[in-house]
Amino acid sequence: MSANDLSLRSAVHDLYHEHHGWLQGWLRQRLGSACDAADLTQDTFVRVLKARNALEIREPRPYLSQVAKGLLIDLFRRRSLEHAYLEVLASAPESQQPSLEEQAIMLQALLDIDRMLDGLGKQVKQVFILSQFEGLTYPRIAERLGICTRTVNNHMAKAMEHCCLMQLQLQLS
Amino acid sequence: MSHLKSSLSGPELQALSAAAQWYARLQSGEASDQDRQDWQAWQAADELHRQAWQRIEAVRQQMDRVPGSLVAPTLHGVQRSRRQVVRSVVLLASAGSLGWLGWRSETSQNLLADYRTAVGERREVRLADGSLLLLNTDTSVNVRFDGAQRVLELLWGEMLVSSALDPLKRPLRVSTRHAQVLALGTRFIVRSQAAGGEVAVLENAVQVSLAQGGPAVHLDAGQRLDFTSQALGAIRRNDATVGAWQQGSIIAIDRPLGELLADLSRYRPGVLRCDQQIARMKISGAFPVDDTDRALAALHSGFGLKIQHYSRYWVNVSGPAAV
Repeated sequence: MSANDLSLRSAVHDLYHEHHGWLQGWLRQRLGSACDAADLTQDTFVRVLKARNALEIREPRPYLSQVAKGLLIDLFRRRSLEHAYLEVLASAPESQQPSLEEQAIMLQALLDIDRMLDGLGKQVKQVFILSQFEGLTYPRIAERLGICTRTVNNHMAKAMEHCCLMQLQLQLS
Repeated sequence: MSHLKSSLSGPELQALSAAAQWYARLQSGEASDQDRQDWQAWQAADELHRQAWQRIEAVRQQMDRVPGSLVAPTLHGVQRSRRQVVRSVVLLASAGSLGWLGWRSETSQNLLADYRTAVGERREVRLADGSLLLLNTDTSVNVRFDGAQRVLELLWGEMLVSSALDPLKRPLRVSTRHAQVLALGTRFIVRSQAAGGEVAVLENAVQVSLAQGGPAVHLDAGQRLDFTSQALGAIRRNDATVGAWQQGSIIAIDRPLGELLADLSRYRPGVLRCDQQIARMKISGAFPVDDTDRALAALHSGFGLKIQHYSRYWVNVSGPAAV
């Protein structure tokens, strides 16, 4: 471990020591749930540790709350997806209900897909969903969205390239 | 694509871009045999091409882990809900009554609110001026006090306000996306959800007006009214059902089952619904909100309803087995 690594670690340690109670309180106030607040507090410090910039942080509390806000929004994304998934499940006939274990696996897979598609424009995303998941041909998609098939083709290429890069990035992080 | 940090080299990125073009062509539903041969030749021509195509395959495999019939409606659904939220916020901002132009997404706004309770939680908050808020389940509030006024933005949920006399004599206002309530020295409950809300006055009085403007309605102690963003409802008398959540229950007096379940579902995560045929069945009784499983058990024992648990987050109520 280099000297730099050591000082980084001790900087994060100091941050944790001094601000972890405050951050947990800040999150608790926003989340309502003490459990969620404790989890997100840990996640925030893990992010800070990974970012390796603890030595450059001049104003710790605004910085920590900024990182924590990002995590809050991730949490919102997860919850809203979970909700949409449950709505879809609830509208399917009982005989087609997956087991609880299958549900958990599918939800995780959906979250991964949602994250891969994150950052694409609305129309690009729509085209991709219609083709990849609903199996529509390009002419049908073009007709449905009022765009030309050439655009559908370009959107598909763009979306797939984006997904590949996102997948790489998500595996790395 | 440049905003995505990538560990790939320039040639690798180029190959990936070309592979994505091939994918788009093959996915069209109109690819010819010639296309497929050309694609295979492209892969065989260079190791980088082959690697790039493997990345595409990896993404496809990940996508195939869930049936498309499930992915499409879920993703459409979540896009719609995230979008609707934004739209309602845009409308609100353009009405501009309070100049809430900082609003981005109401839901992320909810998460970032000054005070928030989780589903199933109730909490007391003492404000700087001495006013006391009791937040009911799943509630988000921002507190905006300045030299001229005290504004409580009720973003979502329900709260009881016990306002304190302000030494600076600033008016106290609760604003929701549908309506706003001006306190006239007082205790009152405000609820605000997607479609509308309700104000019920326990002591003294309030004035209620629509968020978009218009005449104010005076509401005295013992009175309540519903509102949507378009209209204020008729004034009604408070009864035992009002504010029963403070004591941890919902009181129903000849309440349609569908409505009761909608109310109960505010206190538990997941989906809680009933068969259409019994949605209008009239129910009376007190139901605990801190233990909604007990409330459901009471529906079973008291009314013979069948409670089906599909998962921890999804419960369906159906009619008595034999009628």
